[in-house]
Amino acid sequence: MTGAVRLATDPVRRAIGRRGMAGGLAALTALAALALSLPPLRPLIEQSMVWHMLVQMPLLVLSGACAAAAWAPARELRWNRFGLTGFMLAQCIVAYWMIPALVDRAVVLPSADAGKLASLWLAGAALRLGYRQAPVAVQLFFIGYGVPMMAWLGLYLASTDLRLCNAYSLQSQLRTGWGLVALAAALGVAWALDLRFGSGLPRAGAERDQALYPAGR
Amino acid sequence: MQPALTDPLRGLPGTFALCLAVLFGGLAAIYQATAGGTAFTTETLRRTAVAQTPTLVPDFAVVNAQGQVQTLPQLLAQDGRVWIVDFVYTRCITLCLALGTVFQQLQAQIVAQGLQQQVGLLSISFDPLQDQPPALAEYAERMRMQPALWQLVSLRNEADRRRLLDSFGIMVVPAPLGEFEHNAALHIVSPAGRLVHILGLDEGVRTLEMARTLAAAPAAPQPQPQPQPQPQPQATLP
Repeated sequence: MTGAVRLATDPVRRAIGRRGMAGGLAALTALAALALSLPPLRPLIEQSMVWHMLVQMPLLVLSGACAAAAWAPARELRWNRFGLTGFMLAQCIVAYWMIPALVDRAVVLPSADAGKLASLWLAGAALRLGYRQAPVAVQLFFIGYGVPMMAWLGLYLASTDLRLCNAYSLQSQLRTGWGLVALAAALGVAWALDLRFGSGLPRAGAERDQALYPAGR
Repeated sequence: MQPALTDPLRGLPGTFALCLAVLFGGLAAIYQATAGGTAFTTETLRRTAVAQTPTLVPDFAVVNAQGQVQTLPQLLAQDGRVWIVDFVYTRCITLCLALGTVFQQLQAQIVAQGLQQQVGLLSISFDPLQDQPPALAEYAERMRMQPALWQLVSLRNEADRRRLLDSFGIMVVPAPLGEFEHNAALHIVSPAGRLVHILGLDEGVRTLEMARTLAAAPAAPQPQPQPQPQPQPQATLP
């Protein structure tokens, strides 16, 4: 499957390069996410929590991550040793936008919505910069915290009969809950697959860490 | 490999410092947005905010089942009672039924405790297109309202709907089968037209208790019995 995809995209990849593809994807996803916040598509995120939390928000994170992959310098960033700062920033921003009152606020208040667009995009970039510099132990720490947190929130949304967002119906919240559980599971699986069959790209700073801590990846 | 070993801590102190700054920044942002970590939903935020600083209800015309028109502050100030207010639409067959039941229980409690002079019930419809006097009358009968005790009004002008909902912090979202979903709660409003407390539907007993306490101490929230019967109200738009 992956092989087939790789084979199909090979000519493109050769023509514009890996970074070029990441840049294109970053622009496309950013445009899609932005379009969801503006008319005529805005009613989608105003009326459906699924479109808001499971389509627009992940698109923003993905866009930021692709942008970092496309345009961040290849060398290890000094302020981001072991990817700690990147992971920490991403974790804080994502946790912030999982609070129901703030989801409501982004629906009602254009300024909050703009903040959401910018900060979640930044979270994606930070996540990517953290991930590529982090040894497996650090990845395990943050992903092992973030994925269960998301799954727990999903189960809570899906199982409570309280409407947590005043902007959305209970049914919309229920669907979002199960969607979050699925998304958390998918992220966990994606990480495991990357560990096992990863791209094989050298991690920034890996050589030095390998010398320092031979037990690392 | 060897040169790397010469600076094993390179960047680490700076990274730690930055991480701490990010963490505290994030926590501060969340703390600030959730009223100090106490309110994670808009509904709890709304209740906390009102409990801290009561808000003035808007001034506009309402109409009851008999077709009588008066302003909302006039209605609230009519006889010095403290009001327990909820929001309904008469076509409702889901949540408002629960609300109706809560109000029926409150009505029975008020009679049982002899509080008719101190506490009143008021249901306000937010669906002025459908809910004109005939619909209100039918709903009042269905709910077995005692008119002296439990009043039901609708908006006179559809344009006031937004203002009403905003001033009380009610969000109405369309639901299947042409229904609405909205954050339902019990609102305690003083005769002076001040929204002082918001409680959950499951807190009927406590709500009545609080309303009674408020009615027993009329001087506490607002010394003047009729602070705003005048035609020109202050704007309460957000």
